[in-house]
Amino acid sequence: MKLIGIVGSNATNSTNRQLLQFMQQHFSDQAEIDLCEIKDLPAFNEPADKTAPTGVQLLSDKIMAADGVIVSTPEYDHSIPAALKSAIEWLSYTTRPLIDKPVMIVGASHGSLGSSRAQAHLRQILDAPELKARIMPSDEFLLGHSLTAFAEDGQLIYPEKVQELEECFAEFVDFVTLTNELLKNRHVNAEHQRQFSWELDANGGQN
Amino acid sequence: MKLIGIVGTNANFSYNRLLLKYMQQHFAKDAEIEIIELTDVPMFNESDDQTNSPIIQAFNDKITAADGVIIATPEHNHSISSALKSLLEWLSFNVHPLDGKPVMIVGASLSSQGSSRAQLHLRQILDAPGVNAAVMPGNEFLLGSVQLAFDDEGNLREQGTIEFLETCFSRFQRFAKISNLLNIPEEVTFTPGTFAVTTPGHNGDLPMSVTLSKKRIEKIEIDTSKETEGIADVVFARIPQEIIDGQTLNVDVISGASVTSHGVIDGVAQAVKMAGANPDYLRQRPKAGTPQANQDEDYTTDVVIVGAGGAGLTAAAKTLQEGKKPIVVEKFPAIGGNTVRAGGPMNAADPEWQKQFPAIAGEAHTLQEIAAMDPETIDTEYRPDFLKLREQLEAYLTENDDQGSYLFDSTLLYRIQTYLGGKRTDLQGNEIHGQYDLVKILTDHALESVKWLADIGVEFDQSEVTMPVGAIWRRGHKPAKSVGYAYIEALSDYVKANGGQIMTDTDVTSLIDEDGQVRGIIATGANGQKVTIHAAAVVLASGGFGANTKMLKQYNTYWTEIADDIKTSNSPAITGDGIRLGQSVGADLVGMGFSQMMPVSDPDTGDLFTGLQVPPQNFVMVNQQGRRFVNEYGSRDQLTQAAIDNGGLFYLIADDRIKATAYNTSQEKIDQQVAAGTLYRDDTIAGLAQQLKMDPAVLEDTVTKYNRYADAGLDPEFGKDVFDLKVEQAPFYATPRKPAVHHTMGGLKIDTKAHVLNEQGQVINVLYAAGEVAGGIHAGNRLGGNSLTDIFTFGRIAADSAIHECLK
Ligand SMILES: Cc1cc2nc3c(=O)[nH]c(=O)nc-3n(C[C@H](O)[C@H](O)[C@H](O)COP(=O)(O)OP(=O)(O)OC[C@H]3O[C@@H](n4cnc5c(N)ncnc54)[C@H](O)[C@@H]3O)c2cc1C
Ligand SMILES: Cc1cc2nc3c(=O)[nH]c(=O)nc-3n(C[C@H](O)[C@H](O)[C@H](O)COP(=O)(O)O)c2cc1C
Repeated sequence: MKLIGIVGSNATNSTNRQLLQFMQQHFSDQAEIDLCEIKDLPAFNEPADKTAPTGVQLLSDKIMAADGVIVSTPEYDHSIPAALKSAIEWLSYTTRPLIDKPVMIVGASHGSLGSSRAQAHLRQILDAPELKARIMPSDEFLLGHSLTAFAEDGQLIYPEKVQELEECFAEFVDFVTLTNELLKNRHVNAEHQRQFSWELDANGGQN
Repeated sequence: MKLIGIVGTNANFSYNRLLLKYMQQHFAKDAEIEIIELTDVPMFNESDDQTNSPIIQAFNDKITAADGVIIATPEHNHSISSALKSLLEWLSFNVHPLDGKPVMIVGASLSSQGSSRAQLHLRQILDAPGVNAAVMPGNEFLLGSVQLAFDDEGNLREQGTIEFLETCFSRFQRFAKISNLLNIPEEVTFTPGTFAVTTPGHNGDLPMSVTLSKKRIEKIEIDTSKETEGIADVVFARIPQEIIDGQTLNVDVISGASVTSHGVIDGVAQAVKMAGANPDYLRQRPKAGTPQANQDEDYTTDVVIVGAGGAGLTAAAKTLQEGKKPIVVEKFPAIGGNTVRAGGPMNAADPEWQKQFPAIAGEAHTLQEIAAMDPETIDTEYRPDFLKLREQLEAYLTENDDQGSYLFDSTLLYRIQTYLGGKRTDLQGNEIHGQYDLVKILTDHALESVKWLADIGVEFDQSEVTMPVGAIWRRGHKPAKSVGYAYIEALSDYVKANGGQIMTDTDVTSLIDEDGQVRGIIATGANGQKVTIHAAAVVLASGGFGANTKMLKQYNTYWTEIADDIKTSNSPAITGDGIRLGQSVGADLVGMGFSQMMPVSDPDTGDLFTGLQVPPQNFVMVNQQGRRFVNEYGSRDQLTQAAIDNGGLFYLIADDRIKATAYNTSQEKIDQQVAAGTLYRDDTIAGLAQQLKMDPAVLEDTVTKYNRYADAGLDPEFGKDVFDLKVEQAPFYATPRKPAVHHTMGGLKIDTKAHVLNEQGQVINVLYAAGEVAGGIHAGNRLGGNSLTDIFTFGRIAADSAIHECLK
């Protein structure tokens, strides 16, 4: 199974990056997880021509080619970071690679709640019709106290958290297989091009 | 009422902008609404703080001054735009202008939903603790299908919509008034009186007395006798002043002296509590003083000097003596750098003075050893000096036998000892020794530096000649007042009295380089303002890089390992900035791989003077398994490498009698450290081993063997042959130790005129360097007491060259 992991932070040091690195290595026998950074993408600014800048296009191609996507989000002010939001805006505004793509949300935070509010926002955002990702329901993986969660060699040091993550990941592997099986005959092309009511309006209405 | 309107998108066209403009003119008679745009706000990045950029400062200042804020948010993917989110992240990171600020949310969107989901997210975001805005509840103004909502003049078409907006807005005006009442600082009333408290300082308890009247903090008195002079002075001058001026406990701690800073603040907080008030209210008050403008500053001077340590202040004093104008730029609030920390006297051979003191046991032996060295082992450039020295030594030794003779010294002995002391080989087999011409200058001008300092106002205690720790000969000139600080105090007094300028809190970040010509420096001031100083010459005197672990690791060729979490005895300011500045204009570096470690430092702070510091004959060093691992009488380098090989952390074991030989502590401090868990004490060796998580049998065996060796006067395991006390008298102690970085010998390549040289060996015009920032002199190992000589000698030379070459 080929997955990509999106690091939801643009900071030099991020425990969410560490979490994905841990998953990449820990689940290497079950899936090949390619990590993608958002930190060098330009800030979204609604350009009139609607073309994706190179970095966004590269990310989009990787998402398209992958069987599923894992997003690891920090929590900034009870929501996702602007940098991650900006990447998502680009995708929704240009190539829309997330349509029907199986997505797993994970997150780490320095406090005890493990980015729960950011993850809830991210679900709602990815559920917007322009994105229409297939988010794995009910299972969530929240890593609190993330600053002390990783050993020097990158291992997650709480055994119960490792077990929880293994369960979530097993669930996600099934979810990816099932979703892709179910949707394999759907032609999503139409959706990638679809104009949403609000876009038609923006372009001067339907007349 | 003054309000700020924020357009929640960076798009060229925005209905939310139209909506705010409509509100601005429609409500003009009730409120002045200033609209600010997000367009220039950079993407938030916690690793690249841009809080000081003009745009974030503008948002911060305007929001702080306003009575309330209106945010008009579009909806992107069921949430707010990344551009708005980015702004809110900046405004919740290092500044928090929205804290308690009344906020009204409005939103326009193309769908019929009118940004309802984005508004909900925005409410949750504004409620996060870092933002903590006072968002008006209810009154959701959602403008759906917005493309139909405005007429050509930008006015809302529907009367119903206008009326609802009016209702929401008038409620917001009332809401803002009431919310702002909550922002008026909490009244605080004290039971008047003078309260005695003690609070932890850096070197033990700080006794304080705080006088409170009914409404005010009137007086803060601190017994500062125990804190390190020079380092903590600025805390005692600044923090009580800011607390009283602002009647607030919201004051910035002083970098480099944070422990003492927190101590003072916490002490006042304790007193406030004793007087029946809640110190948290005082912590929530604004900081003292009106926020200074961060206007950029521009200066022109003769010589600009980077760093107000010993070398920098010396260069400044010398510049003034020559009738020219210096500006010294110092990045920390306090001046003095590592120089105020220096514990010792400065080296200079002064045979006439030293002659008055009798020789002590062993000194003749040291001289005999030097005289007996094979000249072939001396590098050729030093050989003529060595042969001359040998004659001097032979003459002295034949005239005087060990008993009753006087203390010998000469410039040549000083030179050869500096050379021998600095000679080292690194892990790659590269040999290094001090560069002859620089060592010659140092040793020839050392005494002149002592006399020059005496003229400036440093008083030396001539009644004693000492051997600085880590030196190999008694030629230390010791200031009468507390060592390192004595130099800094005298020099800064001189500089100030003669009209020199010292700018603290100003961090030099680059050189002005105009087509390969250095023309001054650029720095960042305390308020983030840009400070530009044009000068005819630049002297780099910013010290070494002992507090920059990354840089140490990058260049290290001497130690097998430098731990990521290694501590240092240096000021945290000593991060190699001057070396980087030099490199930016092509400077060459020399000897960068060699750093000096203090093997017996505090594992948590790098401090030399915690725990039980006893003479080495009473050291019993054991590793984390409880075994001895080195001859405790070894050199600093040997002890350090052995500690590194044993995992860094090790322990000094002492018994009650060894404890009594500690020269750094008192029973009060010992009890405090035991209570704090930084020193271990137990009635039995086995118990001590358990506390240290060692196998008790191993530690017991180690101690039994050590005592046997002490009786025999010889240690067959590691060859220790100087013993004093055994470990036998309970209670027993263990002081945890770890090597810490002490000095960096490498640095900018300079010549005898203190010019900085480029990689081709050519002089870089108008750029000079002096002190620890420069390399080449101390090579592989700096002798104790030689740094001070270096900075006062080359500091003078740098200023002298600068003036004669650039200002004539
Ligand atoms: C604990 C301790 C004890 C010591 N004891 C002795 C001793 O007994 N005898 C001896 O000879 N030597 C001793 N040394 C070594 C000696 O103190 C130093 O090598 C010497 O003081 C260095 O002087 P300096 O003027 O080159 O640098 P410093 O005195 O370190 O001054 C450098 C100054 O530059 C400032 N600075 C740095 N970067 C910038 C920038 N970008 N912009 C503006 N300012 C900047 C720093 O804040 C600092 O104030 C000791 C060192 C330590 C740490
Ligand atoms: C502007 C800002 C806001 C933050 N807000 C939150 C927050 O609301 N909740 C939280 O748990 N951590 C918050 N944090 C702290 C951490 O950045 C956050 O816990 C993050 O999820 C840690 O993940 P990371 O290591 O990948 O950056 C905030 C940090 C910043 C810089």
